Amino acid sequence: MMTNAGNTIRAVLCLAFCLLLQTVPVLADERPARVAQETADLKPFLDELGRKVSDFKTLKTDFTQDKEMAMFKDKLVLRGRIYLEKPNKVAWHVDAPLRYSVLITDKVIRQWDEDTNQVQEISLAKNPIFQNVLNQLTVWFSGDYSSLLEVNSVRIVKHEPLMIEFIPLEKNISKKVIKSITITFRDDKKYLQQLRIQEVSGDVTTIHFTNTLLNAPLDSGSFEVKGHV
Amino acid sequence: MFDRLFTVLFPFFLKRKGMVLGVVIALSVAAAVGLAFIAYEGNLDLMLPPDPEVTRSIDFLRDSSLSDKIIISLALTDAGKGKKDLFLAADQLAASLTPPFFTKVVAGFSMTDAMDEFSILQYAPQVLGEEDLASLDKQINPAAVSDKLRGIYRQSLRPESIFLSALSRTDPLGIKMLVLDKLRALPASMGYDVVLEDGHFVSRDGRHAMLIVQTPVPMMDGQRSKELVAALESRLKELPGFLRADIISGHLHTVSNERVIKRDITVATLVASIGFLLLFFFVFRDGRSVFVILFPLLAVVWSMIIAAAIQGKLSYLVIGFGTAIVGISDYGLIVYIAMKRGTDISQMGKLAKLVFIDAITTIFSFVVLYFSQIRGYHQLALFSILCLGICLLFSLFILPLVLSGKRFQLAADPTVGDRLKNFRWPVKLTLGIWSLVTVILLYASFSVRLDSDVKKLDGSGPEVLQAEQTFHEVWGGKANQAIFVVTGKSLEEAMETNDRVFRDAVKVVGREEFTSLALFWPSERHRKENRDRWDLFWKQGREQSLKELINGASGAYGFSDRAFSPFFEGLYDQGGDAARPGGIIAQLRERFVVQKNGEFRIMSFFPDEQRHLDSLSALTKLYPGAFIVSGKALSSSISAFTTKEMFILAPLAVLFNVVLAWLFFRNWKETLIALVPLFTGVVWLLGILSIFDMPLNVVSIVAGIISSGVIVDYGLGITYEYRRNLHFGTVMAMTLSALSNVIGAGALLFAQHPALFSIGVAMVISMTAGYLSSVIVVPSLCRAMATSWQEPRLGQERPGLKVP
Repeated sequence: MMTNAGNTIRAVLCLAFCLLLQTVPVLADERPARVAQETADLKPFLDELGRKVSDFKTLKTDFTQDKEMAMFKDKLVLRGRIYLEKPNKVAWHVDAPLRYSVLITDKVIRQWDEDTNQVQEISLAKNPIFQNVLNQLTVWFSGDYSSLLEVNSVRIVKHEPLMIEFIPLEKNISKKVIKSITITFRDDKKYLQQLRIQEVSGDVTTIHFTNTLLNAPLDSGSFEVKGHV
Repeated sequence: MFDRLFTVLFPFFLKRKGMVLGVVIALSVAAAVGLAFIAYEGNLDLMLPPDPEVTRSIDFLRDSSLSDKIIISLALTDAGKGKKDLFLAADQLAASLTPPFFTKVVAGFSMTDAMDEFSILQYAPQVLGEEDLASLDKQINPAAVSDKLRGIYRQSLRPESIFLSALSRTDPLGIKMLVLDKLRALPASMGYDVVLEDGHFVSRDGRHAMLIVQTPVPMMDGQRSKELVAALESRLKELPGFLRADIISGHLHTVSNERVIKRDITVATLVASIGFLLLFFFVFRDGRSVFVILFPLLAVVWSMIIAAAIQGKLSYLVIGFGTAIVGISDYGLIVYIAMKRGTDISQMGKLAKLVFIDAITTIFSFVVLYFSQIRGYHQLALFSILCLGICLLFSLFILPLVLSGKRFQLAADPTVGDRLKNFRWPVKLTLGIWSLVTVILLYASFSVRLDSDVKKLDGSGPEVLQAEQTFHEVWGGKANQAIFVVTGKSLEEAMETNDRVFRDAVKVVGREEFTSLALFWPSERHRKENRDRWDLFWKQGREQSLKELINGASGAYGFSDRAFSPFFEGLYDQGGDAARPGGIIAQLRERFVVQKNGEFRIMSFFPDEQRHLDSLSALTKLYPGAFIVSGKALSSSISAFTTKEMFILAPLAVLFNVVLAWLFFRNWKETLIALVPLFTGVVWLLGILSIFDMPLNVVSIVAGIISSGVIVDYGLGITYEYRRNLHFGTVMAMTLSALSNVIGAGALLFAQHPALFSIGVAMVISMTAGYLSSVIVVPSLCRAMATSWQEPRLGQERPGLKVP
């Protein structure tokens, strides 16, 4: 079963890669001029915002993730916790409906779920696609938003609360899958309040962050994957 | 008859000195100018046997897509730079590589396009066979379906589900696992350990990017390869400072080989010329001794023009031999010394006869090469025979004209040669030591290795080899791959044969060991069969069964009624199953398919190991037109062929020398004594190579055969001197000749090119051994045989030849 699960993961990751990557005519500027102008104007703003949002060394937050997927009759609701320690450690723990944990570092992914009760380790060097996928996710969590300007067009949807929409450009590897990502910030703009991902397929994932603590002390248990409650 | 002919011709030239010299000078100038128009080639094919299998393999490699590619590995050298910088530079470099030298550049694949091409419902029906469907059939049961759905559910809860849920809807059974098994051949088909990232080929460490560049320049085209390499280097100079480029290309080998050989020839010629000049000036202290070297050089120039006129292109390797030829053409030396010692006209005929027989024995050692089937040897033979013949004519008829004008004599002091000649070696001790050493070396000679690996004759510079080593450290790649080739008049015919070969080959060597196009893209007929089988598979009730099973298990996980409708709606043939033009399959197919002269050839790759060669060779007999290209098999063929030829050529060379020696002496005792240096040279060469664990190779064997013609001259000359009580200064001439030969061949010991180095080693050892035995052992044997020879007294002079 371990082998089958591992094979499944590898298969999935390999094909995920197929979705995500495309040849990039790097020198071509495909953004409409208006969008380019807007994006250029936003850079200082995002730089400043990013500095505020990323002004922490550690982070601990609860989350609720709603997934509206065509594959499921009802909305999936996940609850869990995220621990983040800069520069390169993120732990994502799902407590319900199924216990699942994944630890992401710069070199390896380690994951566990109560169903298989097996800890699997995946080398990112051997799965650059998975690495790319998870890098994107950690960018959202870590606050380096100005880097997203290179591969997304950006607009401010609302100022209070601050809501910014990122739309993948043609050269973005996620273009074929993600239609837009909308981030809503806390009133104090120190972190995210909500992250909403609208997929090209119509599926929508919304992550609400609650009880967020910045620079909270974290113990090593926060980053253990097996059987963590 | 020779005497009569010589006594007619010699005075004829003497009387027309001015005209003769003028003609020689004019022709020499013309020949020197003509050198610039000669076409050269650095192709080692000339030295390979015309064995059908060898020829076919070499031709195939030359014509295949393997030889028209240049691979560039870009490495980040600055830790502060990342993949973004790497990819940008790679794209800029790719854009700068344009025709005429660069026709196509592949820096990676568009994996989004790949996903379209390899989508489960588009691709799987075409490539999954009976076994795969049988495996799939086992998954259509309640337990397995429930397990799959649970896996999809679990995956949906994970962060990466954002990107993967669409895939799951088109693949509830995990057919992707079966497809991935086929796609496993994709990286293997690259031959390297690559990953794809952001549409680029990237190394595992993420610090290197690869570009594959196609060029229309044939690898063996020396001139165009130079232009190609120059164009590439100029593009690479524009790379940013934080990048380093390593290039893998057969063209680099061609250019480097040519550069190395030219350098070696230049250096060897310089060393030989300086050595000769110093030697002759030191010994003779006479400026006219320069003609002794000049005439062989002129002979080489004349010979190059004539050989080029007959042959077309000249091989650099053959020209490389020319430096050694200059050294072994010692006829001018014999004439010069004889004239200095006052040889009169009555003895000029005898002198000419000695020089003539010397030349003939050497020429015949090259004539032997015509009995070989190797084209390069014929070219070498022609060039060398011309060289020696012209040198002989210069020595006999032109050199005396040049040296005439005033009478001159040797210094009163004994020359090196005379000292050596007059020295009485203790007979028993000399013969005892010689016998002992020769027996030991004869014993050792039976262990000499024959190395037929022609790759070791590759003279590419160290920078080329270093780049390749660095490349393989980064990119891995399966070294030593052999190729199984199938042929067909059309692509489809070849692919159908390839499919059958694949099916049979995996049974004998295993699927892991045999990389074939058939694994991930079989023939159109096979794909249609697969698709028909797929449709039938699902129409036989399995579609309905699966729907029911999914509906039954979905409830536990909350799947919607249409959760997997994308799968069922796309299940049957939707057409468009050909490889997309310019798509990944089409690009990968290029690695496996070669089209030449209206014939299609498809390659499959497997480890070049004997056990696989044996198993798969049997398979080639089942499929007309199929053959294997293997480095190991090539070496074996060349080795077998070379060994067979040497068993003919070497004895033939010895036989010629024996016959010529006997014709010269008409006496078996003297013949055998004269052949002692030949025997010594051969045995000592093989024995010393064996002791120092230096192998014989194709070129050193040829060098040995050529040396035999020179060594036998030593024996003939010394024995003749004693036989006829002549005072030509033969010992001195042979000594200087041997020194000049060794200098000429010894210059090749400094060669970087392994082929030229091998020539140098073989000639230095054999000539040194031959010379020493001729001046030490031959006189001892003569004394031991107690013939009626007289020995001249020291200082005794003979009346000289007065040349007007």
